[in-house]
Amino acid sequence: MLNALRVLILSLLLAGCTKDIDYQTLTIPYSTDIRGFDPAFATDLRTGKVVSLLYDNLVRFDLDMNLVPGAAKRWSVSANGRKYTFIIRNNIRFHNGDLLTVDDIIVSFERILNPQTSSPQTWLLDRITGAKEYLQGYTDSVRGLTVINDSTLTIELDEPFSPFIQYLAMPATAIINKNEMEHLTNIPAGSGPWKLDKWERDGEILFTRNKDYWDGSPKIEHLRIRILSEIMTQSAEFEAGSLDIYEVPKGELEYWRDKNYNKKEVNELILRYVGMNCSRPPFDNIYLRKAMNYAVDREKIIHILLNGSATITSGPVPPRFLTGEVRTQYEYNPGKAIDLLKKAGYKNGLNTELYVAGGSEMFHVLEALQSDWAAVGINVEIKRSDWNVFKTAVREGKPDLYYLDWYADYPDGENFLYPLFHSKESMTKRNRFSDPDVDAIIEKIQQLPDNAERQNLIVEANNMIADKAPWVFLWHSKTTYLTQKWIGGFRPSPIFNAQRYTLVTKQIGP
Amino acid sequence: MIRYFINRLLQAIPVLFGVIIITFILMYVIPGDPVVSMVGERYSEETIQRLREEMHLNDPVPIQFIRYVGNVLKGDFGKSFITGEPVTVTIMEKFPNTMMLAVVAMIFAVLIGVSLGMISSISPGSILDRGIMILALAGISAPVFWVGLILVLVVGVMLQWLPPTGFGGIEYIILPALTLGLRSAAYLARLTRSTMLEVLSQDYIRTARSKGLPEWKVFLKHAFPNTLIPVITVIGTDFGSYLSGAVLTESIFGWPGMGRLALEAILKRDFPVIQGTVLFMAVMFVMVNVIVDLLYGVIDPRIRMERTGKQ
Repeated sequence: MLNALRVLILSLLLAGCTKDIDYQTLTIPYSTDIRGFDPAFATDLRTGKVVSLLYDNLVRFDLDMNLVPGAAKRWSVSANGRKYTFIIRNNIRFHNGDLLTVDDIIVSFERILNPQTSSPQTWLLDRITGAKEYLQGYTDSVRGLTVINDSTLTIELDEPFSPFIQYLAMPATAIINKNEMEHLTNIPAGSGPWKLDKWERDGEILFTRNKDYWDGSPKIEHLRIRILSEIMTQSAEFEAGSLDIYEVPKGELEYWRDKNYNKKEVNELILRYVGMNCSRPPFDNIYLRKAMNYAVDREKIIHILLNGSATITSGPVPPRFLTGEVRTQYEYNPGKAIDLLKKAGYKNGLNTELYVAGGSEMFHVLEALQSDWAAVGINVEIKRSDWNVFKTAVREGKPDLYYLDWYADYPDGENFLYPLFHSKESMTKRNRFSDPDVDAIIEKIQQLPDNAERQNLIVEANNMIADKAPWVFLWHSKTTYLTQKWIGGFRPSPIFNAQRYTLVTKQIGP
Repeated sequence: MIRYFINRLLQAIPVLFGVIIITFILMYVIPGDPVVSMVGERYSEETIQRLREEMHLNDPVPIQFIRYVGNVLKGDFGKSFITGEPVTVTIMEKFPNTMMLAVVAMIFAVLIGVSLGMISSISPGSILDRGIMILALAGISAPVFWVGLILVLVVGVMLQWLPPTGFGGIEYIILPALTLGLRSAAYLARLTRSTMLEVLSQDYIRTARSKGLPEWKVFLKHAFPNTLIPVITVIGTDFGSYLSGAVLTESIFGWPGMGRLALEAILKRDFPVIQGTVLFMAVMFVMVNVIVDLLYGVIDPRIRMERTGKQ
């Protein structure tokens, strides 16, 4: 019977057998589609990743998070930390054959800042001298961007600002061909290791390797990104052999444990936390905020619910950016939590709400947190909504508590401080935390070049913020990738846009 | 006939206008903010204000509504907030995929449903009949999501007869079309069976049999055409909804159709795309219903007579 059915189905299909593996194409899944190929609108992870396949930046991150030369073969920073000089390679060609020049860089940067572009990513470049005037339409060019000669460019900032060089590795500061800026949403104009073949929205994105790529052509002929919104579908496709790389959801780790695939783990720069609104009762009370932290048994949750695939935090900054020993200030101590709760004036406990968006993966984690808090008398009701409603509420400062995570833009402790805890950012888009000492130390870190003093300040800021407990600090997640046996050379990276799949191979046998 | 057709189309206008008003109101009533989907994490307040200005979100709602209706009458559905693509282009990109899936699903539904229903009616009460009816009951009750995943796992992963999911050649459409068509098939099987049983007990069938016609002829020539009316009715209701996209089926099988387009737009509060897709779906639904109505007349002379009688 089964065989008859099989013959029937196969005879229905003139086109082929599903078991054939295409050794020319690397296939990976994304769970939602990208916004397009315009760097100016690369605000989400996936769009950013795709932009970094298609374009070059002045500098970029390698898989180990080192800042390495890109279109600039070398660069230097003036002693006062305000002036950057870049020497540009003269052998980079865009996909249409045009040579990448200093002008392309200037035009690309000005395009981001141009009010006509309406890019949400102006923050990357608005510290350049004259950028603010340009942004408001008062001037026709940005004073701080200067062409010295065919291969030299200087960028001058208003103030010394050490993260700036890393901003230049972000998707929105990609270098676009100045002659092809018309239809960037659909037609990329880059010089990156991959060229676009086809984009079927909500279906797939197909790339062919750039054989002439200056930094070495990708080893595999094609790259195919399939948009599969269901995790179950992704896992079925991976098991059927039609996806080459698969990011395992935490809940599935056990299922895949002993299967015959290659496993790669990476400590991604992701921080999970519960934000507490510090600007109004009840969580303007530091004792209560500390009680929230002491009440949570992080180790148990990591061990039992996350299969050990997370690292406990000491504060907001991931351990790799901290010198010295990393230890959480908030060991699990329900007794201390109850004492602090009394000290905070909540002898009989309190009731509050926690906002959370979508996704089922973290629900058992939230339930564990809920029961830990309930055990000390803090009754937390979980309010679930879709992502957009959630983000709108957080932006407006509505929730008392919210569960969220932070993905690093670039590998620097500063990226876990300024955007999250500086009053300018926190008061307008996050949990309304404002502390002059914290602001001052973060500003200092932003000015100092990467040296021992800066490293110590990052540790100090981390401990200071942990002590003020604006969040319940949870953990840094590890991500597990599985690859098929025929995949070689794949190494996951902690930074989202470092992965360009240029070294990945696909062949039979080891 | 033509007058009837035109009448039906005119009746659709208030329906579509109602759809526009309701989607418009709903979009402003539900919480959320389209700008939040557009700006990422590090935006400045100025960026937010500039985007609001550009998208006319700062205008009073009645003005936005009048502008929107005016544009729709001119055939302009606006541009997606997220991608900047014209909504009409986006819809026209997805609609052929949805159409293809809907047609194949309907073909499966009719082939499987009607033939099982007929087989079932040959000997009512037999084991075969009961088996088919239990199967049909299961088909109606099984959630689409579950059926889809089971097909992916069994046919795609375990047996490897077909690619589990994806989009492209004919081998990709079979599983999603089966998933989508299954419920209609099950419903059709039950409907066909009951219609057949009813017809088979009528006098003219007895006459046909007493003339000595072979049983298959009685079945196919005399009884079967009567099942067309219920079949068309099911097609009418189900096909219209297939054309407006099948979110679950499309999500499971990675099928780039209207359902996912609408879902993504709703999740990101992409107002122009929501309005465009909902209106387009409403038009499709109305069209299918008008066509089905006309088909009734073509198939059944009695209905045709009734209509001319009225005029």
